[in-house]
Amino acid sequence: MLLGFAVLALLPFLVSDSYSRHILIMAFIYAIVASNWDLSLGYGGVFNFGHLALFGIGVYAYGLLTKFLGLDPWLALAASGVISTFAAILVTLPILRLKGIYIILVTFGFAQLVMQLVLSQSDITGGTQGMVRIESLYIPGHNLIRDQKLGYFYIALGILVLSTIFLRVLVRSKVGASIIALRDNEEYAVSRGISLARQRVITLAASAFFTGVAGAFYAAYQRNASVDVFGMSLSTIILSMVLLGGTSTIYGAIIASFVLTIFSESMADFGAWRPIITAVLIIAVMLVYPSGLAGAAQTMFRSLGRLRRNSTAAPAEASEPHTSR
Amino acid sequence: MSQLLEIRDLTCGYGRIDVLHNISLAIGAHGNVGLFGPNGHGKTTLLRAVSGLIRPRSGSISFNGAELTTLSPKAIVELGVIHVSQGNRLFPDLTIGECLSLGAYTTAARQREAASREEVLSIFPKLKERWTQKVRTLSGGERQMVSIATALMSCPKMLILDEPTLGLSPKVKEELCAAVIRISGHGVPIICVEQDVEFLLELSQHLYLINHGEVGAEIKPGQTMDHGEIMSLYFGK
Amino acid sequence: MDAAAQIFAGGLFQGSLYAVMAVGLALIWTTIGVFNFAHGVLMMLGAYVAWQLTELGLPFFVVLPLSVLLMAGFGWALQATVVRPLIGRPNIVLVVVITTLAAASLVENGALQIWGPRSKQLPALGDGNTMIFGVGISLHQLTIILVTPFVLLGLWLFLHKTRHGLALRAVAQNEDASLLVGLNVRALYGLAFAISAGLAALAGIFLGGYRFMSPVMGADPLLKALIVVVFGGLSSITGPIFAAYLIGFFEAICSYYFGLYWTPALLFAVLIVTLMIRPQGMFSSKTRGLA
Repeated sequence: MLLGFAVLALLPFLVSDSYSRHILIMAFIYAIVASNWDLSLGYGGVFNFGHLALFGIGVYAYGLLTKFLGLDPWLALAASGVISTFAAILVTLPILRLKGIYIILVTFGFAQLVMQLVLSQSDITGGTQGMVRIESLYIPGHNLIRDQKLGYFYIALGILVLSTIFLRVLVRSKVGASIIALRDNEEYAVSRGISLARQRVITLAASAFFTGVAGAFYAAYQRNASVDVFGMSLSTIILSMVLLGGTSTIYGAIIASFVLTIFSESMADFGAWRPIITAVLIIAVMLVYPSGLAGAAQTMFRSLGRLRRNSTAAPAEASEPHTSR
Repeated sequence: MSQLLEIRDLTCGYGRIDVLHNISLAIGAHGNVGLFGPNGHGKTTLLRAVSGLIRPRSGSISFNGAELTTLSPKAIVELGVIHVSQGNRLFPDLTIGECLSLGAYTTAARQREAASREEVLSIFPKLKERWTQKVRTLSGGERQMVSIATALMSCPKMLILDEPTLGLSPKVKEELCAAVIRISGHGVPIICVEQDVEFLLELSQHLYLINHGEVGAEIKPGQTMDHGEIMSLYFGK
Repeated sequence: MDAAAQIFAGGLFQGSLYAVMAVGLALIWTTIGVFNFAHGVLMMLGAYVAWQLTELGLPFFVVLPLSVLLMAGFGWALQATVVRPLIGRPNIVLVVVITTLAAASLVENGALQIWGPRSKQLPALGDGNTMIFGVGISLHQLTIILVTPFVLLGLWLFLHKTRHGLALRAVAQNEDASLLVGLNVRALYGLAFAISAGLAALAGIFLGGYRFMSPVMGADPLLKALIVVVFGGLSSITGPIFAAYLIGFFEAICSYYFGLYWTPALLFAVLIVTLMIRPQGMFSSKTRGLA
């Protein structure tokens, strides 16, 4: 996978116009959000419907910190990540021991609540108009817009790399294994001493940090913020990236993000038909390929080299970090 | 001569795990059939395959010549194959009256609804007292009666009972046994899965031992086997 | 005294509205066991279909039942495309959330294309206002308050006194046993969705009569319906009906004392607290029963 990133790092030499780089930067941002969503959804088995709200919190946190507190943009970037993490912990508290549909409902409500909050505090957030002229990031002695957004490109890529490394390390660690164990066989994991509540908090908090940072970067890059980020359309698009890539595969989400962003941009001419076509795609994928493209690939591998699995092997599976649905 | 129910080389299971392996049974030539054997070895799976709740991986099930493995559970019910599930959860919030009405849902059964209801009440008179009570409020034995009564409302041409006496007290078991034998006396062929082998022996003379998803042994009428021999079969050599 | 009467009327109105909005959602959850995130969009579509029909010149007393019927058909079609093919999948609840969400996005954008973003309005169910017990109330609202109990009663009668209603209740309680009794469970799913969509359409028409319609008008009602259903309990439809009126009154009280801004937050807080103390909802029993 280092190869993949190396390729990405060299892309600016191939792709040198501002617009294409913009698309790639957006793809990077979406990839971060999507892969982090996969952490809680795919690996943790917790459907956090408010994940995009964490992104939105990052966006507005950055805007507010730089605008009203005059915080240094880089600090604000990191701080936004922290704030999103706190928000995630906050939303986890009510759903600590809830199951299935209730988690979805509460997190959905949370997302709506955050949006209402932002809208209602229109004095500082700009309400439906949003915030404009947000302070951007800077590298001393280098104008980021220069060279067709080269600077932004590498910063975005950098964040993506950090996020991916973080996710990979987490998933392969003991913490990651326990998260997966809880997803696969909750009763067993709990009986083995894994604390459901604690792991849930960790899962959601971990998924929030880089999402918030991505949000902050988005604000810094676009230099404005609007409540659209809390809308259903963005959630649907990012969710489709997670699903298309296949849940519980970090790279799947990233690749799907690229595919979908580029695909979506190439459809820009279709205007309002874009969300419609996206929606049709999601439905089609869900009907045909429940495990997403990555899942389909994995199924192929599995049937090629069939492992004889015993039905009583469930506990043993929990220690495998890459168990997929 | 075509058998009433013929199961041939059936392989069936859940997900990637097969529970039944190429199992074959022929039912009908010798009256009612009893299935017994250790738990988890495929008896319920077999019944669910017959009634269409699960699709077998391979093999065939034919009832009076009609192939069942390609039919929906609804179609199978319409053919007259009625399966009374294990455990008696039934419809917890429906009254006895409502359950029985539901039993006569198919067009054919609906036409005979009034007559069926009389028949059922003559076999299970106790149900009349509790006609408007919800299933949830009934005792285990009563719920079992409702289950079987509901099945009878569907005008079965073959009745499949999965562990009808499970969890019941001896007295209730006796009542139920008598009722089931009466039903059999009315001319309905019965396939019964039971732990209580005595019950099976009263009901049928054709028994199959299902072990590890395969037919472990077959006992035909004429083969006199006493309880002790069956037990040793059951528990393996 | 005047305030109390005003709050009472307001609560009754909101409660009626919520009841019609939530009961359809609860119906689907109890029979099929999935959550229809396109429910809000169905309300919106119902309103727009009604609007279109009135634009074509049809009298309102024809438009109302016609819209409901059309939407019932649409609900059936929706179920056939994004729910039925998924039956049997292990995480069907999750997948249906996604597909109904996508469907909602589709319909919303479709509506935007067809009818444009500018607000529209439906004719009210009754023009003008009236005074009852010293409280000023619009005829539209009064009609809704009076009509809703009949609608709910109709639903109850259907479920308890008809064969198909019995079948729906059976499916809600034990799907396996329903199959074994010869019920066509798939067709019943379609019926459940059709009824739910019809009810949603009615709710949409209610809403469209006193508020401005827009393609995104379904999002807020969906959230409200969600809160009502969770609060009322996911095991039957009677729970959410009680909850609807309760929350309607609660909202009326909150709006009066705290203003409109804080009410959503308070409602959400109610949701959270309910889930924490009694996750199965206020009025539910342990078994899923439908009614």
